[in-house]
Amino acid sequence: MKPFTWLAPDTTAGAVAMLREHAPDARAIAGGQSLLLALKDRSARPTHLVSLSGIDELTGVRTADDGSLVVGAATTYAVLARASLAGWHGVLAEVAGDLADRPVRNRGTIGGALCTADPRYDMPAFAIGVGAGLRVSGASGDRAVAAEDFAEGAGVTALGPDEILTAVVLPPLAAWDTVAFEKFRHRVFDAAIVSVTCALRQGPDGTVAETRLAVGGATPVPVTAPVAAALLAEGASAAEVGTRAADEVLPGGTTGGEAVRYRHELIRSLVRRAVDRALSDVRTV
Amino acid sequence: MQKVTLTVNGREVTAEIDERTLLLEFVRDTAGLTGTHNGCMEARCGCCAIEVDGDVVKSCNVLAVQVNGAEVTTIEGLSPQKLGPVQQVTTQTLAGVYEPLDAIRSSVEDLHPLQAAFHRCHALQCGFCTPGMVMVLKDYLEENPAPCRDDVRKAIAGNLCRCTGYQHIVDAAMEAAEVMRGAGATTTDD
Repeated sequence: MKPFTWLAPDTTAGAVAMLREHAPDARAIAGGQSLLLALKDRSARPTHLVSLSGIDELTGVRTADDGSLVVGAATTYAVLARASLAGWHGVLAEVAGDLADRPVRNRGTIGGALCTADPRYDMPAFAIGVGAGLRVSGASGDRAVAAEDFAEGAGVTALGPDEILTAVVLPPLAAWDTVAFEKFRHRVFDAAIVSVTCALRQGPDGTVAETRLAVGGATPVPVTAPVAAALLAEGASAAEVGTRAADEVLPGGTTGGEAVRYRHELIRSLVRRAVDRALSDVRTV
Repeated sequence: MQKVTLTVNGREVTAEIDERTLLLEFVRDTAGLTGTHNGCMEARCGCCAIEVDGDVVKSCNVLAVQVNGAEVTTIEGLSPQKLGPVQQVTTQTLAGVYEPLDAIRSSVEDLHPLQAAFHRCHALQCGFCTPGMVMVLKDYLEENPAPCRDDVRKAIAGNLCRCTGYQHIVDAAMEAAEVMRGAGATTTDD
């Protein structure tokens, strides 16, 4: 670890001011579960660390007036997993409670996962899958970014050097009837090799009105598969949607290298499972 | 340098430390409690697990400054410590020719239910991973008093043991869970 100066502001504005003052080599740290690993192997060498854990406004989960769920960026996975959330918002708690391991979930935060932008992490893929919005505070004011526009590459985000991710906003419950999240990993505490989120809304006549499919882990940033999702709305089977999604996310995946073929196959299976589960959910509701 | 104060097992420890000091290093080197083990330093093995304000964390992946002011419980804090200062190291103590419980001048009743169950079920061989296992299971069982064996295996997913094959550790956790629930009679064999 390279030496750094420790700064612990108690407001978002204070943190932004510190990041700006010491840009570009200052970094924000929330739980630090990813950043500390990077500090130890010196792949990150910040001169200043700005701690977000003392900022109360960045933690906690609340429902906004319009029904959307506002999750503070520095809310830990453990808090999310224990939260009692209604309807498909509850899938956020399930995802948060089934990643990494118990001690890591007690420190790791949802915003940390998004800002680390590791392609294998569940939270970015889930946020994109349900069409979440992100709130960002910076020296030049606040702005909103769609989750799918946030990650720009593996480990690269749309966040400026003096900006902080403050909240993840899940759309209101009415946006989807059900959300299914599926992932594959070798060991329980491993990051997913591939994860799939399938969000689904029915029309008044009981047919599928809108769907959204997002695939994480297979590409440098999680991506949506709109063509496959549209196929589902047209009444295609889960298996057909899976095959289409795999080709859409990894074109030519069946003839690529071993790792690509493996992921292609995982997308096919996981999309099929997620779609199956989402369909059976809405039919039993 | 940064001044950090932690309450470690009820004892307040204040020190002027380098910002880079990990919580693990603070507990071992500054507070002098070496029961918390340094296994991998990469948050993989779980040997360094301790409780910070009631939540178990991997102390090798937390900076001491991050938890300034917190209450920390380590493996030493689970049962009253009756270990006297080590007078001298003899070949006998090195060879382990003593009853472990005699050595800490304690009895099974003094141990935390998990420690007692680990002892009874022989849930350790080399013992390196044990402090982490116990701390994670304590945190888990306090929240989930009636787990099944699969739940326990998932709970200790972030703890690696290279000796036991986990079988006896799960046995011990199930037994401790029963004691902690107060359901089963505490078996006082041997």
